[in-house]
Amino acid sequence: MGLAARHLEASGIPTVIMGCAKDIVEHCGVPRFVWSDFPLGNSAGRPFDVESQTRTLELALRLLETAAAPRTTVASPLRWTADAAWKHKYLDVGKLSPEDIAERRKEFEVVKAVAKAKREGT
Amino acid sequence: MSAGSTPEAATPGIQFAPEDDVAIRYMDRTREYYEALGFSPYRWAHFTDAPFTPLRIPLAKARVALITTAAPFQPEAGDQGPRAPYNAAAKFYQVYSAPVDSKPDLRISHVGYDRANTVPEDLDAYVPLARLQEAAAAGRIGGVGPRFHGAPTNRSHRVTVETDAPELLRRCREDGADVAVLVPS
Repeated sequence: MGLAARHLEASGIPTVIMGCAKDIVEHCGVPRFVWSDFPLGNSAGRPFDVESQTRTLELALRLLETAAAPRTTVASPLRWTADAAWKHKYLDVGKLSPEDIAERRKEFEVVKAVAKAKREGT
Repeated sequence: MSAGSTPEAATPGIQFAPEDDVAIRYMDRTREYYEALGFSPYRWAHFTDAPFTPLRIPLAKARVALITTAAPFQPEAGDQGPRAPYNAAAKFYQVYSAPVDSKPDLRISHVGYDRANTVPEDLDAYVPLARLQEAAAAGRIGGVGPRFHGAPTNRSHRVTVETDAPELLRRCREDGADVAVLVPS
C-alpha cells in the first residue's frame, strides 16, 4: 500500500494511509499516515463502533488538509484495550513447541503453493 | 537521570506508561517467526524520503478515491469467513474496481491480519466506505469516487511498482479523484 501511495502522490494525487502496522508503513516512507494502535485488520477503527471509525477517518481527512511535509504520522489516541497484553499475542514464536513449528512450517508450504498456483493462473 | 537510578526513584509522583506499551515491531516479529519456521526473511519496501503533493482544493470540494487490500468474496475459494485460517486461494493478483453504491462483500482471509486479537466481522473496521459516504453527505468531502479500488497484496515489489500502482493511478484519474485514502488490511 505504501508503494501505491507513493506512486499516486508523485503523480499529483495527495494520499493518506490508514493503518495499524506503524513500523512497516514508516519503513516504506509514505506521504501521510494515520496510525491506529489496534490489531492488524482494524485500520479504519474499532469493529461495530461507528464513533471510533468516524474519528479515525476524520484524523485522515485532517491530515490531508494539514500535513506540512511528507512522512507525517498522526497517532490515533484511541486504545484497543486499557493495557498492552494483546500486543504480546501476535505471532508469538516463543510460545510454539517444536511440533507446532513443524506443523506451521508445513501449513506455510501449502499456503505458498496455493498462492503461487493462483498467481500463475491469473 | 543519573547512572544507576531507577525511573521510579528519579520521578516521584509521575506514572509512566508500561515499557511494553509501544507500537508492535511487526517486521521483527515476522522475521523471527518465519526464521523459526525455517524460511528466508522477507524484505519490506524501504525509502528514506517520500513524495509530497499538497492539497490544493478544499476537501469539501474534493472527490476521494478509496483503495483497499480487501478481496471480493469468491464463492469457489474456500473459507473466507471471519474465523477462516489464512486463505491464499482467496488472494487476487490484479487491481479490481467495484461500484460504491451498494455495500460490497469484502473479506480479508487472504492476508495476515491479527487472528489472535481480532475477528473481522465488521467491514467498516477495515474498509471505511460507509464512513466516507457519511462524510460526503455531511459536506466534509466533496464526494466519493464512483468506484473503490482493490490493490493486490503481492509479495513482488516489482509487480506492485511497475504494474499495480500505475493501474491504480490510471483508475483514480479516470474517476476524477482529487485525493486518495488507502487502507491496508
